[in-house]
Amino acid sequence: MAFLKVEDLKVHFPIRGGLFNRKIGAIKAVDGVSFEIEQGKTYGLVGESGSGKTTTGRAIVGLNDITEGKVTYEGDELNKKGKAIDPRRDIQMIFQDPYSSLNPKKRVLDIIAEPLRNYEKLSRQEEKNRVHELLEQVGLSPESILKYPHEFSGGQRQRIGVARAIALKPKLIIADEPVSALDVSVQAQVLNFMQDIQKELNLTYLFISHDLGIVKHMCDEIGIMYKGRYVESGTKQDIFNNPQHIYTKRLVAAIPDIDPKKREEKKQFRQEVQTEYEQSYNDYFDNEGLAYGLQSVSDTHLVALPEKG
Amino acid sequence: MESKETKLDDTQQVTTKSPSGFSIIWREIVRDKIALVSLILLVLITGFVYGISLFLNQEEIVTVDLFAIHEPPGEDFLLGTDYGGRDIFGQLIIGTRNSLSIGILVTLMTGVIGVLYGLVSGYFGGTIDNIMMRIVDFFLILPFLMVVIVFVAIVPKYSVLSFSLIMTTFLWMGIARLIRSKALQEKELDYAQASKTLGSSNLKIMLTQVLPNLSSLIIVTMTLNLAANIGLESGLSFLGFGFPESTPSLGTLLSYARNPQTLEYRWWIWVPAAILILVLMLSVNNVGQALKRATDARQRRG
Amino acid sequence: MWKFIVRRLFITLPQVLLLSVLIFLMAQMMPGDALSGLIDPNIDPAAIEKQRETLGLNNPWYIQYTDWITGALQGDLGQSFRYKMPVTELVEQRLINTFWLSVATLIITYIIAIPLGITSGRYNDSWADQLITGYTYIGFATPLFIFALVMLWVFGYQLGWFPTSGSVAPGLTPGSFDYVLSKIQHLLLPAISMALITTVNTVQYLRSEIIDTKQKDFIITARAKGASESRVYNRHILRNSLLPIAAFFGFEITGLIGGTVFVENIFGYPGMGDLFIQSILLRDYSVVTTVVLLFGIASILGALISDIILSLVDPRIRIK
Repeated sequence: MAFLKVEDLKVHFPIRGGLFNRKIGAIKAVDGVSFEIEQGKTYGLVGESGSGKTTTGRAIVGLNDITEGKVTYEGDELNKKGKAIDPRRDIQMIFQDPYSSLNPKKRVLDIIAEPLRNYEKLSRQEEKNRVHELLEQVGLSPESILKYPHEFSGGQRQRIGVARAIALKPKLIIADEPVSALDVSVQAQVLNFMQDIQKELNLTYLFISHDLGIVKHMCDEIGIMYKGRYVESGTKQDIFNNPQHIYTKRLVAAIPDIDPKKREEKKQFRQEVQTEYEQSYNDYFDNEGLAYGLQSVSDTHLVALPEKG
Repeated sequence: MESKETKLDDTQQVTTKSPSGFSIIWREIVRDKIALVSLILLVLITGFVYGISLFLNQEEIVTVDLFAIHEPPGEDFLLGTDYGGRDIFGQLIIGTRNSLSIGILVTLMTGVIGVLYGLVSGYFGGTIDNIMMRIVDFFLILPFLMVVIVFVAIVPKYSVLSFSLIMTTFLWMGIARLIRSKALQEKELDYAQASKTLGSSNLKIMLTQVLPNLSSLIIVTMTLNLAANIGLESGLSFLGFGFPESTPSLGTLLSYARNPQTLEYRWWIWVPAAILILVLMLSVNNVGQALKRATDARQRRG
Repeated sequence: MWKFIVRRLFITLPQVLLLSVLIFLMAQMMPGDALSGLIDPNIDPAAIEKQRETLGLNNPWYIQYTDWITGALQGDLGQSFRYKMPVTELVEQRLINTFWLSVATLIITYIIAIPLGITSGRYNDSWADQLITGYTYIGFATPLFIFALVMLWVFGYQLGWFPTSGSVAPGLTPGSFDYVLSKIQHLLLPAISMALITTVNTVQYLRSEIIDTKQKDFIITARAKGASESRVYNRHILRNSLLPIAAFFGFEITGLIGGTVFVENIFGYPGMGDLFIQSILLRDYSVVTTVVLLFGIASILGALISDIILSLVDPRIRIK
């Protein structure tokens, strides 16, 4: 039994129009996505903006309605009504923008205690102690408990966001571009700290990002999305050392390298990829410019290629 | 009050402590001379009117005294008397108090209804919002003044309370619309979404997360509404469809001016009331506009 | 385009229906009915009862409503029991008077608003702008009825420039030049009073609209292309700011209705607003119902027209 299993997930947004505002079409934000995550691992979901990676994450936590498909968490199907246990508290989310994800009118205490107040009946003192612990865990001083979000820097705010997400001791955290709104100098700190916390609490991450460099640093397995579909998925080695799909190749080729000795080598690789892209675009995408279904290349490695023959 | 540096390494970009909402508002009002004068004037008038009215006997003031009809201002009557020999000054004080009180009451009632209605409509969106806004649209196209007058005329056992209820029934839509459009934006922000993932119910998110972020908008709108409601009440009383006869109001004093004789020759009856209404409405409006500027960073003066 | 109009009409029809139901229910709540004023108290109550039965006054409310609305659609709005004449006849002359008063007010409103708004927006923060903004502040805070009273006092009584009541001087033949002149003279002071107050919203709107447009990229582009200052204003800014204003006149109708009640009352101008107040005081309810119904429909239509014009002007406003 997989820890988190996503099967043929579809999230469509209706386009309304016409005389009576009926549904006349749909934007297929996520169009048939499947993957599994093992406990304690970090799964990276990569794609450009509009590729559906964030929508996938939001559908798993229940912020977007699932049009079709199934998400199972430890064998329980999510988003089914009338269930006794709420697996929601086991799945939490870290948001992209630390400036809008914290309510500007609330003190840190209230922000971090919100999930505790919803799920655990704690006395005032217990609650305060818990928040103190959490703040220490994310490396903030416990005195900040009565401050407001605007008194913190972006990196600190993101730590508050993490503290809130781990308050209920969740098992899975969906991190939606957790560092892309931060200064580059702060990004590494937050990422390393997320890895520390992962070990400490045995967390599983679904890490959503458009930055392959960060994904390489963080993730064990990776899925690459394009226009709502998967183009390639596999382990870190599969993706970075043996990219098969032209879209993945272009992404990998675009990662900057600071080693000057490799400059020529990289340049040559980029040119190769560019030629391949221009010549064989139609081999990789169908008439609508969408990816084909996934074919396996190896046990771990899946690529979206047209069916042979 | 300096924020303490935390022990963290990523604190280089600690933002300077930005002032809290209320200190911004206060600073804006103090800086804006006109608003400051208005506020002081308002406090003085309110204090004076509510203070003095404690020593006045409303029944004595509204009692007809046939020996003192249309007295000009003088020693006995500071501002003269009306056609029933009633003291204008006393009526002015009590009238101002009544007009202010009902203005505040109606503003609060419409505020509560409008805010809750707008919040629900904007927060849930979709079909609920659609239906709720169609209802608002309908109320908005009603000829407000006439409908209110008809209700005032047909309500049995007419009293100050029923008057304020009638006004409230037809005045809550403006604020509801405003709150709705803001709530529609707020609920899309990550903090409201985050609350959902943290297990908060919709009701809780609406009231404890979204509502506090609308507070400045609510304060501004209600202040401006207060001015408008004072004007409406005095207008309705002027036409004879406001306060019941036994309750003096600024509008009632003005309605005496519908008699050409009074309008032309007995200024003391209506001019003071007109000036008072003007001063009240201008002051409340000025304070409201200053609040509006304070909450809108683009318009802030300094 | 037609789609929008049809959709907008789909909203309008239920509004009119709902309005008529509301007004009908209001009429039901009004004390007494058509008979209580008509019939001699000495007549046998049983006869009254019989009369009520034949007039359909004992039917359930929805049948009475249907009767009333079919009558109204055919132009039969009942009898005024005070004036002993059909309401439609009574209303006709009043309606014409109020119509001209409204038209005059609208014209004056725009005559004032457009130059003031443009000056204020184009030269914002100049002394002229501050003066105009000051005026809008005061105008915004001043209740119409107080302003109208003061206008009547100053220009009607003290200076004697305008007549103080009525819609035309007595003794003139309708249609003659003097008659028209007298009409205009009677109309002018109420219209100016109302326009000076209602215009401030338009001035404020125009000002902020122009200031906003001034900073838009396409204006900077126009300047960069070397367009002259007057061309920038006439071709680019005004076109974008004035059209919405022009469309607002439909929304103004709702405001005008409230205004006419006060102004006609104060200036003794025999229009619908004045008729409304008098009928309420005389408990002439069939007249009251008619006036509210007509004004309600007027403001529904006003909003409809404005929405349609706005959607022609600004495609963003169209409901999809």
